[in-house]
Amino acid sequence: MSFVPLKPTAIKERVAMVFLEYGQLDVIDGAFVLVDNSGVRTHIPVGSVACLMLEPGTRVSHAAVKLAAAVGTLLIWVGEAGVRLYAAGQPGGARSDRLLHQARMVLDPELRLKVVRKMYDLRFGEPAPQRRSIDQLRGIEGARVKSMYAGLAQQYGLVWRGRRYNPADWEAGDRANQCLSAANACLYGITEAAILAAGYAPAIGFLHSGKPLSFVYDIADIIKFETVVPVAFRIAAKKGLNPPERKVRQGCRDIFREQKVLQRLIPLIEEVLSAGGVDLPAPAPEAAPPAIPGPTIIGDIGHRSG
Amino acid sequence: MIVVITESVPPRLRGRLAIWLLEVRAGVYLGKVSKRVREMLWLQITKLAEDGNVVMAWSTNNESGFEFQTHGQNRRKPVDFDGLRLVAFTPMEDRKTS
Repeated sequence: MSFVPLKPTAIKERVAMVFLEYGQLDVIDGAFVLVDNSGVRTHIPVGSVACLMLEPGTRVSHAAVKLAAAVGTLLIWVGEAGVRLYAAGQPGGARSDRLLHQARMVLDPELRLKVVRKMYDLRFGEPAPQRRSIDQLRGIEGARVKSMYAGLAQQYGLVWRGRRYNPADWEAGDRANQCLSAANACLYGITEAAILAAGYAPAIGFLHSGKPLSFVYDIADIIKFETVVPVAFRIAAKKGLNPPERKVRQGCRDIFREQKVLQRLIPLIEEVLSAGGVDLPAPAPEAAPPAIPGPTIIGDIGHRSG
Repeated sequence: MIVVITESVPPRLRGRLAIWLLEVRAGVYLGKVSKRVREMLWLQITKLAEDGNVVMAWSTNNESGFEFQTHGQNRRKPVDFDGLRLVAFTPMEDRKTS
C-alpha cells in the first residue's frame, strides 16, 4: 500500500462557499461527509471549496477538521443569517516574507498612505485627491459610501436609514441591513480564505485597524459595491422571501462567478500591496535554507502543505 | 464533454448509447456532443431505461463547471445547497425502520 499526501489546490480553482446546517461533519472512507440524524450522508467536496460555513446545528469531528486543514479549506462558524462567529482550519502565517512585507507597509506612514491611495483608486475607479491624509481619505470614502447606499436603496425602492445593525440583536435591523450583513458574511469568508492562501495576515489592516479581520475588511470593501451590495439590495426589495438569507447566498454565489471574484482576489491583494513600490524582503544573507526542502505546491503560496 | 452512467438498464439502451458515446467501462459512457444531441440522448434514456437508473453529466459555464440530471431511483439523490448541487446518500431502507 502506498501513501499519497493531500495537497491544497489554488483558491481560484474553487467553488466560493458551502453553507452546512444540521448534521455531523465527519470523515467516512477518507471523504468529508455531512451525516444528518436520519443517516443521510452528503459528501462535501471540501478541497474544491474556498470556505465552509458551519451554521448552528452542525458538529465537527477531529478527523473532519484535520482533513479541511490538509486541503487548505477555511472553516467558518456562523450564527444567524450566516454572520461569522469564529474561523479555523486554514491557519495563516505560513509565509514570514509576506507577513513582514505587509507589516512593513503598515508601519511606514509613507508606504501606508500609498497603499490606502491605491485602495481608493481601485475602489472608485479614480485616483484619490492629492495631499490628503489617511484620515481625510477615510472621511471622503465614508461620505461616498453613504451616498452609494442611498442611491442603491432609491434604485430598488427601499426605505434606507443608513447602515445599521446590531450583532447582539439580529431582529432589530431592517430587511435591507439584514441582507447586507448576510451578503457581507459571504464576501468576508472568501476574502479571508484568499488572504490566508496568499500568505498574508487578516488582522493587519491599512484603513481598518484593531480587529482580527481588519485587512479582510480593507480588501472586501474594494469590491463590495460591485458585487454583494447590489445583490443584497435586490433581494431585500423582493417581498415574501422570508428569511431572505438563502436567496442572498445564491445571489452572492452567482455574482462571485460572474465577476470571477475568486480569480481576482489574490491578484487584487498583490496589486494593493505592491502600491508601495517595495519588494518582498529578501532573506538575511547568512540565512540557511530549510534543511529538507518542502514539497512542490499546486495551491497558493500561503497554503501549508503536509 | 458528457458522461453517462447507467445502472441495471436493458441492453437495448446500452447499445443505443454506444452509437454516439464511447463505453469506457461497463455502463459508463463518454463523449462530446452538442446540447441538441444531449437532449436527444436524454429522451432515449428516459424512454428506454425501464427499471434501471441513469445519471448524465456535462460541462457548462456555471460555478461547478458541470451540470447533471438523473433518471430512475437511486440511493444517491441530488440536493441543493444555496445554488450549489451536491449529492445525498440515503441509508438502506431496513436501517431506517429499525
